[in-house]
Amino acid sequence: MKWAKAWQLSDIILIALIGIFFGAIFMGTNYVYDVLTAALAPVGLSGLANELLLGLWCMPGMLAGYMLRLKGSATLGELLAATVEMFFGGQWGISTLISGVTQGFGAELGYIVTRYKHYDWLGLTASALTTTIVTFGWDLARNGYFKLQLWLLILYFVVRFCSMFLFGGVLTRLITDMLDRSHVLKSTHTN
Amino acid sequence: MNPSIKLLLLFIIALEISFSLIISLNIALVILAIGYLLLHHTKCRTIGWLLIVPLLPAIGLWSTQYINGTGNKTLMAWVLFTRIYAFVFTGATFTLTTNILQLADSLEQNWHLPSKFAYGVLAAYNLVPKIQHEVKIIRAAGLMRGQQLSFWSPKLYFKAILVSINWSQNLAQAMTSHGFVEDAPRTHYRHCPLRWQDWAIFIVGLGLIQLGLFVIPWS
Amino acid sequence: MANIALENLTYTYPEAQAPTLNQIQFTFKAHQFTLLTGPSGTGKSTLLKLMTGLLKLPANQGCIRYNDQPLTTIAATERAGKVALMFQNPNQQFAMDTVENELIFALENRQVPANEIQAKLTAALAFVGISELRERNLSHLSGGEKQKVALAVIVAMDSDVILLDEPFASVDPAARASLLKRLIQLRDQAGKTIILADHDLTDYETLVDQVVRITPDRHLTAVPHADWSTLFADFARTGQTDQRWRLPNQPAKPLFQLQKVALTQGRHRLLQPTDLTLLRHHNTLITGPNGSGKSTLFESLVRLTDYDGQISYLTDDIQTLRRKRYARQVALLFQDAETQFLNITVAEELAQSQKYAYGDYFTPARITAAMQQLNLTGHEDQVIYTLSEGQKKKLQILLMLIMQSPVLLMDEPLKGLDLKSVQALVTLLKSTIAETHQSLIIISHQLTGLAPLIDYHLRFEQQHLQYREAL
Ligand SMILES: Nc1ncnc2c1ncn2[C@@H]1O[C@H](COP(=O)(O)OP(=O)(O)OP(=O)(O)O)[C@@H](O)[C@H]1O
Ligand SMILES: Nc1ncnc2c1ncn2[C@@H]1O[C@H](COP(=O)(O)OP(=O)(O)OP(=O)(O)O)[C@@H](O)[C@H]1O
Ligand SMILES: [Mg+2]
Ligand SMILES: [Mg+2]
Repeated sequence: MKWAKAWQLSDIILIALIGIFFGAIFMGTNYVYDVLTAALAPVGLSGLANELLLGLWCMPGMLAGYMLRLKGSATLGELLAATVEMFFGGQWGISTLISGVTQGFGAELGYIVTRYKHYDWLGLTASALTTTIVTFGWDLARNGYFKLQLWLLILYFVVRFCSMFLFGGVLTRLITDMLDRSHVLKSTHTN
Repeated sequence: MNPSIKLLLLFIIALEISFSLIISLNIALVILAIGYLLLHHTKCRTIGWLLIVPLLPAIGLWSTQYINGTGNKTLMAWVLFTRIYAFVFTGATFTLTTNILQLADSLEQNWHLPSKFAYGVLAAYNLVPKIQHEVKIIRAAGLMRGQQLSFWSPKLYFKAILVSINWSQNLAQAMTSHGFVEDAPRTHYRHCPLRWQDWAIFIVGLGLIQLGLFVIPWS
Repeated sequence: MANIALENLTYTYPEAQAPTLNQIQFTFKAHQFTLLTGPSGTGKSTLLKLMTGLLKLPANQGCIRYNDQPLTTIAATERAGKVALMFQNPNQQFAMDTVENELIFALENRQVPANEIQAKLTAALAFVGISELRERNLSHLSGGEKQKVALAVIVAMDSDVILLDEPFASVDPAARASLLKRLIQLRDQAGKTIILADHDLTDYETLVDQVVRITPDRHLTAVPHADWSTLFADFARTGQTDQRWRLPNQPAKPLFQLQKVALTQGRHRLLQPTDLTLLRHHNTLITGPNGSGKSTLFESLVRLTDYDGQISYLTDDIQTLRRKRYARQVALLFQDAETQFLNITVAEELAQSQKYAYGDYFTPARITAAMQQLNLTGHEDQVIYTLSEGQKKKLQILLMLIMQSPVLLMDEPLKGLDLKSVQALVTLLKSTIAETHQSLIIISHQLTGLAPLIDYHLRFEQQHLQYREAL
């Protein structure tokens, strides 16, 4: 493991580009979000739409952490993606940036607690869990979750974790397996 | 106003209102922000659009609290409803009046952010329109080879990452051959000063928001 | 000002077994214009990247000296003043949004004091003759215009040595001639040393001081003056092709029918409302200057870009066809080869095309033969992204041929190919479509070797798209 490896220009551009690319792909899922939100609003469960898709939005951070294996890559990956999104048609303004930081740090925490040593299912699961916890903690305040009934909170939490695990964990793993095989990262990243 | 100071101020405001339960404060912020936007010649259509876009999520949050909340459900429902708008409009005062180049200049010149971060992100940012088109192209190229790539296909993301890797290397090489050297000193053609006025606005703004949060009895 | 000496230069890519460059000994003389040629995949790009320091030369693998000073000892901040590289791909070579900002960025990097930047910038743009592009957004420029901007950046940075890696691969003849003229001026008036890699040798004979060839066994040799005429003979001078094509007589079988089709990009009108028929079982060539809208037209035909009016394929409005089915009927060979790839190794790509192919003309034996024909044999297990530009292009075309979709739109299929590859490719295309009856529509700036394939010629220029007999 190369701890000391510093950020190079191409790494920075790379994770920013990945963030933007994924953002552009997720734009195509907005209609899923809108339909779900509208359909669930009358029963007061529209948060589920957010919970179901949140894993997608946290994927760039988890993937950057897993792929680049640099300290801070998860946080930076998500933050850069959020910065770009803020300027580019991001109507959510500064709160995009705050979400970016929490999501990125959440993902990073999973790699921190596994000491940046477990680039395997353990690391990914840990990262999915910490991302869930951190972002959920933030939503307790920001989205007023702390005022919700307990059963709903548990439901949201479980759904969010599943989404994180599926998109941030399983999908990330499938993608990085293909990357490993293609050797395209080899020349710059030796682990 | 200095972009990074403005961003910092708005960042703190966004953080603080995330924890506040004062509806009138949210509304006051929205009104202030609209005033500021109008001063900066923002089109009414843009403002109208900013009012419409968050409506669905706002209603979602509202109904969640109203139906499944605890305690004073109505209050919380409206707090969240107005909070979303406060986020959107305070955010717009930044994104609609500042561009990413100005922010990068300010972060590089005022806060000594390493230029590789400033220019790396700028280079990526300038490709956004191409990237949106490229996603369509990747999908079409897949179809032409007999493969449908939807948002859960690993191959779609793999392709996107490959393009990113390739572009990032091309860009980094091009920047290097345009004389860019990581961590080396550069001159600055566009000056981005950090004046005492910026700090004054920052402190006054910060003071006002504390006033609104803790001193004025809004109800 | 700067002699460049390559001493015992050897380079092996970490992923490769055999060295790409082997024990190269050569000296490029100062103030000369050198043309570097050699078959596809022999290491021209690799050499140029080594000479700029973009690829690091491992220790004890030889040495590159600029006027006796080893490249490795020149401070990174000084390098751009010594040597600059202009890339083949006009995209992704700018960090900033506008032409002006890119030049400013480069000059700031060179630590030019802020008060001198304005003057240098203006002078560089004027020298290349693109002052009017100053405030334009880089992403809105055509390929040729982007290359001109790239040259302006190099002029502004005032590098002693200018390396160019197939700078004209996607540039139309007019822009190419104008860029060449500037390069000659840079040599004659500013004393620059210029080394340019190209496959298409049109127009160089009277301009360059020496021609250097990378031989298949990876050595550099200067081509003696006596051999020049044979070398250049294959390349007709630009604008002097006397090729004539028939005009289509109308009641033929239509493939695409355009009704009042108009194209726009941003606020820029590319094509006035046009009625036009493209014919089935014939091959049509589309030519036109950079930025006239040829690629945009192709993207409209495959529904990647919006257009006004109506386009029908055979009998149906293409907007009414299901995307998936339509994609199997009409395939596009993208201008950028990598866009087409979906897998990792050459073999996997071949397998995928075979699996989803529309017809069964390409048996494994035929594929092996085609690989041989295109000189790609032996690269089966190579990761596609490490192939040279020309190799990628050939593979891309083969993959799309194997698919055998009834219509194949080809955007610059000859980009970056050497003459041998072009001939091999045209032979393969001819023999294939004779059996499979596909219709080809081809956009190309480069015409050398392509003529035998073409039935009709469309000219896309000044917002008009019309059949023409001559270029
Ligand atoms: N990163 C890499 N890893 C392994 N092999 C590589 C890599 N890059 C290039 N090669 C191989 O090195 C050889 C030389 O490539 P290079 O791009 O320098 O060729 P070229 O002469 O510029 O060809 P072209 O005219 O097609 O552009 C090719 O055979 C290519 O497959
Ligand atoms: N978003 C945009 N806004 C304005 N102009 C654009 C935009 N996108 C592309 N263009 C311009 O539209 C024109 C048509 O581009 P297109 O790629 O179709 O040209 P082309 O004929 O294929 O050129 P080339 O021979 O260089 O490949 C170009 O001048 C291009 O820069
Ligand atoms: Mg090359
Ligand atoms: Mg084109």
